[in-house]
Amino acid sequence: MGAIEHPPIVTVPGVPDHVLYTWIVMAVLIGLSFAATRHLELVPRGVQNLMEVVLEQFLTLLDDVIGHAGRRYLPLIATLGLFILVSNLLGLIPGLIAPTGNLNTTAACALIVFITYHAIGARKVGLLPYLKHFAGPLLGAELFPNRVVDFAFKLILVPLFFVIEIFSHLARPLSLALRLFGNMAGGHILLAVMFLLTMGMVGWAFSGSLGAVGLGLPGALLLIAFTSWFLFPLKLLVAFLQAFIFCMLSMLYIAGAVQEAEHH
Amino acid sequence: MRRSLMLTLMTWSVVSVPGLAFGAEGGTGGWVGPFAVIAAGIGMGIASGLCGLGQGRATAGAVDAIARQPGAAARIQTAMIIGLALIESLALYVFVIAAILLFVQPVK
Repeated sequence: MGAIEHPPIVTVPGVPDHVLYTWIVMAVLIGLSFAATRHLELVPRGVQNLMEVVLEQFLTLLDDVIGHAGRRYLPLIATLGLFILVSNLLGLIPGLIAPTGNLNTTAACALIVFITYHAIGARKVGLLPYLKHFAGPLLGAELFPNRVVDFAFKLILVPLFFVIEIFSHLARPLSLALRLFGNMAGGHILLAVMFLLTMGMVGWAFSGSLGAVGLGLPGALLLIAFTSWFLFPLKLLVAFLQAFIFCMLSMLYIAGAVQEAEHH
Repeated sequence: MRRSLMLTLMTWSVVSVPGLAFGAEGGTGGWVGPFAVIAAGIGMGIASGLCGLGQGRATAGAVDAIARQPGAAARIQTAMIIGLALIESLALYVFVIAAILLFVQPVK
């Protein structure tokens, strides 16, 4: 995408940009956590207060979505959420890029969620019963009173169910990764194109002729106003929303695995 | 009759001129590139338009539900946002494909 976007202002040769900015996000998060937990107080102030409020939001969400057993997964969900949120917000600062605007970062997060929720489900009931669940709800049910017809029906339907379930589970990390990546990269390209257009308009306005000044100056002002008052707040909203949605869907998948496990 | 002829000619010229221009320029048959750009634009337009329709329906339903039951606003909102995300991901698949067509250009 180098055709439109400039490279970020800070680069290290030999290190891909998104990896470098992932390190920056990690440094920010580690610094925040360290500052929050260095002097723990009963009545929190400052950074500790902020982090406690943020983590309490995550706890409320976990309680709402997964239930009371959900607090065990706070480290996973909160880490993912904070990492994605800070990454998205980093992309809003001009000259920096969002690590989540690269498919590698989001695919890594999505794969972690994918493996984790299967591991949680498999650990809850054992591997074979968990795999049995992929065969759909038909396996335990009695469809027809005639035993031969019943068996034949299941022989046809259960493999079909199995394939469909496998595909629907494989689509989950794909859509998780692509959604975050698409939103971040798309927003980034959109802002880049808007700045490009604004620069073109400004250049036209300064070209000297009367018509250019009359049309280019209002056009440039309009573009600047549109970008800074509409697109930028929209991107801010999207940054929070995408982090929330990633966490929410991860929690839903974990809840699905846990509840599936409890059914059998 | 004349209008349809004009329309056909215009469509033909829009579709063929960039292809011809590129084909004349590139020695190794570079006529897919311009079509890739057109496909990216049209595909993204269709995808975001239909995605807008879907999201509009979802939002309308959610607003309706909140108006009937203001007490359940928080849960309805959460469900709506999840649904919107799932709808939006369909348009984003097309965005990814459009970006691949425009920037990666697997077929020149």
